[in-house]
Amino acid sequence: MPVKIDENLCGHIDNCPVQGLCIKLCEQGAIIEEDGDVKIVPENCDDCDLCIQNCPNQAISKA
Amino acid sequence: MFNIERAGEESRKLSYNNKNCVSCGICAEVCPTSSLRLGPIVPIARGLIEMDPISVNEDSCVFCGLCSVACPFDALSLSIDGVSVKEMENYPVWDTECDVNDDDCIYCGRCYTVCPQDSIIFERNLPNPADLVRGEISIDDEKCIYCSFCADLCPAGAIIIKNNPASSVDKLGNSIEVDLDKCIFCGVCKRVCPEDAIRQVCATCMYSDEIETPEVTGEVFIDDTSCVSCSWCSETCPEDAITITKPFEGTLDLVEEDEKVCKGDSCHACQDVCPCNAVTIVDGKSVTNLTYCNLCGACVTACPQNIRVVSRTSMKLGNINSESWNEILNGLIGK
Repeated sequence: MPVKIDENLCGHIDNCPVQGLCIKLCEQGAIIEEDGDVKIVPENCDDCDLCIQNCPNQAISKA
Repeated sequence: MFNIERAGEESRKLSYNNKNCVSCGICAEVCPTSSLRLGPIVPIARGLIEMDPISVNEDSCVFCGLCSVACPFDALSLSIDGVSVKEMENYPVWDTECDVNDDDCIYCGRCYTVCPQDSIIFERNLPNPADLVRGEISIDDEKCIYCSFCADLCPAGAIIIKNNPASSVDKLGNSIEVDLDKCIFCGVCKRVCPEDAIRQVCATCMYSDEIETPEVTGEVFIDDTSCVSCSWCSETCPEDAITITKPFEGTLDLVEEDEKVCKGDSCHACQDVCPCNAVTIVDGKSVTNLTYCNLCGACVTACPQNIRVVSRTSMKLGNINSESWNEILNGLIGK
């Protein structure tokens, strides 16, 4: 089951304390930057949950 | 790094050295006032965030020093009136050891190569190769045509030809020399020389009784403040010259269930935070080599699946004189 991002909690790269930490952490290309925002690519997600655990805004959860 | 102080009847200072910190979180686990916090250790280990693994709440810290004695890696130190509690006889102390026996060490340098923390200070002195061979060599520069066959083939790199293109037409700008510190009198140069310009005699075998036995000397020691007791050095040492005592004994297991499974290749958070190089990903799963694991537990915290279980059965922390401290510190084992 891939992950989803809570739009209200997410820092949307610009306001993320680490400017898109989830994008940098995910080595599967399941979280990417598109038009200056964070985008999930569900088919690439391997359910490792690294993004969920490390999101400084706790904006990521299971879909 | 942080240094926080409280002045009063006695002056207490808590110092944190991030260089020695392995992100295990033991300090935060034992802190009675929850004043220490373990940060995002995976992004830190991957270099995505630059911050210390541990942060302190200066307002709530009571400077008791529990964190300082519990840290097996010398990352935290409480001092009272300038004296570290680790040097006070009534405070708990780790009975761990990292030591190289100079008498047994042959200065091969394997320990230095495998240490994941660069904690081994190593230096060795090899004998001068020229003292180990005997012979004679000379090059007749009247005959030499500076073809450099000899220099290109010399296995010891002992022949130096200098060439000055401006005057090479009359050979005056050329020079050829043998570095006698390198030459082993093997004779390759003589045999390849098309002009028969080289004379060489090897007498090493003839004088073998006189030639000293090569002796390698050196110096090696383990910096005990940055050593994490992984025991790569002692396991690698061919002479059994190194003693490493680990802070804990016990096991570390991967307990998978239902949807909680190791995503080794995608995640490898455990491998990234392990200070011991004890974790590898084999066939997509995390495998911990307990020989090198120090049971610090950093990987347990790092694992987003929460499937790593450290079970410490004993620890080398002794001289715990306070009952309440004993209860808290013993919480580190038996789980």
